[in-house]
Amino acid sequence: MAINKNSNAYIIIYTVVMVEIVGDLLAFLATSHQSNQDANVLNDQKVSIMKAFGEADANFDEVVDVCRLTGGELGVVADEAGVQSVFDLLGNRKALSEAEDGLPIFRMRKDDATKYVLPIVGKGLWGDIWGYVALQQTEDNVVITGIVMDHAGETPGLGAEIATQTVQSKFAGKALYNAEGEFAVRMQKGGAQNEHQVDAITGGTKTCDGVNAMLETSIGKYESFLRAQEVEEFACGDDCCDLADYPADGSAIVEPINEEE
Amino acid sequence: MKLSKNFTNPLAANNPVIVQILGICSALAVTVKLEPAFVMGLSVIFVTAFSNLIMSLMRNGVPSRIRIIVQLVVIATLVIVVDQFLRAYMYDVSKQLSVYVGLIITNCIVMGRVEAFALGNKPWDSFVDGVANGIGYALILVIVAFFRELFGSGTLFGFDVLSRFGYVNNSLMLFPPMALIIVGVIIWIHRSINKDLQEK
Repeated sequence: MAINKNSNAYIIIYTVVMVEIVGDLLAFLATSHQSNQDANVLNDQKVSIMKAFGEADANFDEVVDVCRLTGGELGVVADEAGVQSVFDLLGNRKALSEAEDGLPIFRMRKDDATKYVLPIVGKGLWGDIWGYVALQQTEDNVVITGIVMDHAGETPGLGAEIATQTVQSKFAGKALYNAEGEFAVRMQKGGAQNEHQVDAITGGTKTCDGVNAMLETSIGKYESFLRAQEVEEFACGDDCCDLADYPADGSAIVEPINEEE
Repeated sequence: MKLSKNFTNPLAANNPVIVQILGICSALAVTVKLEPAFVMGLSVIFVTAFSNLIMSLMRNGVPSRIRIIVQLVVIATLVIVVDQFLRAYMYDVSKQLSVYVGLIITNCIVMGRVEAFALGNKPWDSFVDGVANGIGYALILVIVAFFRELFGSGTLFGFDVLSRFGYVNNSLMLFPPMALIIVGVIIWIHRSINKDLQEK
């Protein structure tokens, strides 16, 4: 053969053919495995939510209602496409953190349906942090029953500890609001100083700040709903639930979205 | 016989990790637990074997001016195949390995063997060389992970082994420097057995 393998023409043709073959191969591979991969991601989200509920062994589809909070009203999402769109939103952290309405929320069917899991999303030191927090309404507060957190690239051994059971278990039993009605749960540098706080991670302060901001903003979006529930059930009767028990000075983290009710 | 020497050489006498000191970075990162180390080992065996085989088959047609790029394309393709496969069928492991699957591309063992061996040898020899180098790498990974998981978490493949004897987990074993120390100890033992490897 008299082909000059170092001629420009040969090299260009060689590259084009090679890239074409490799591109086709990878495109085929990606599309043929897509459904399996999507199922894995979906399953992983469900497992995380069940872990936050503290019922890792229970079947998500049997015990949990997928809901959306629209204009302060909780609506159960029943159809398959709707459920899928909720999980799609969970998978898209940017859209989730920007969402103001139609917020995803998961309700446990048993235990009088007062247990909810909310998705939380924020920024750590190096990248995104996210997770799920399980909340239970009590007589006059909202209590964290479990939390699951994960991260994209926090420092191993320091910030990355937020993904461990040791750190997450410290959040259980913490009430969200203090006597003044302010959001009080946070990871405190130097150690917890009151019953709302959790020890921060030594050397992971920036990540802990990120966790605090994440909890405050993500849970804040649901605040009016969570509080309305708690007042409705225990504090008063008919239409007195105008959040009068809580400071009107704007110390609430986010404006209630169902103000006009 | 040449073939069997091709195979046994990278396992001990010319092991890519402990003699050529290649691929150390992933050896530190994925050896906290046995399972990811095992899967990482298998993935690298697959990539070294098939990149060697494919490059050896292509060796007469590759323009030498762009051969490194061609090698990279072949290796990257194989790594993506592994990554897609893990995501579809072993999601948990794929989450644990995270970026390290992608970083197989930069593992010097893979490109080193393609460049040094596959471009000058027949396909079957190259394939064997790739498998053997992959095994040589996987072997060290599994040994390191064995000690780190056993003494760091008290388990092996997730099964409880030591804590029933009252062992308290030493979390120092879980930190990356410990992997380096264990690799160092393996190199020490290996060189004291193979005296010809000792530098004067």
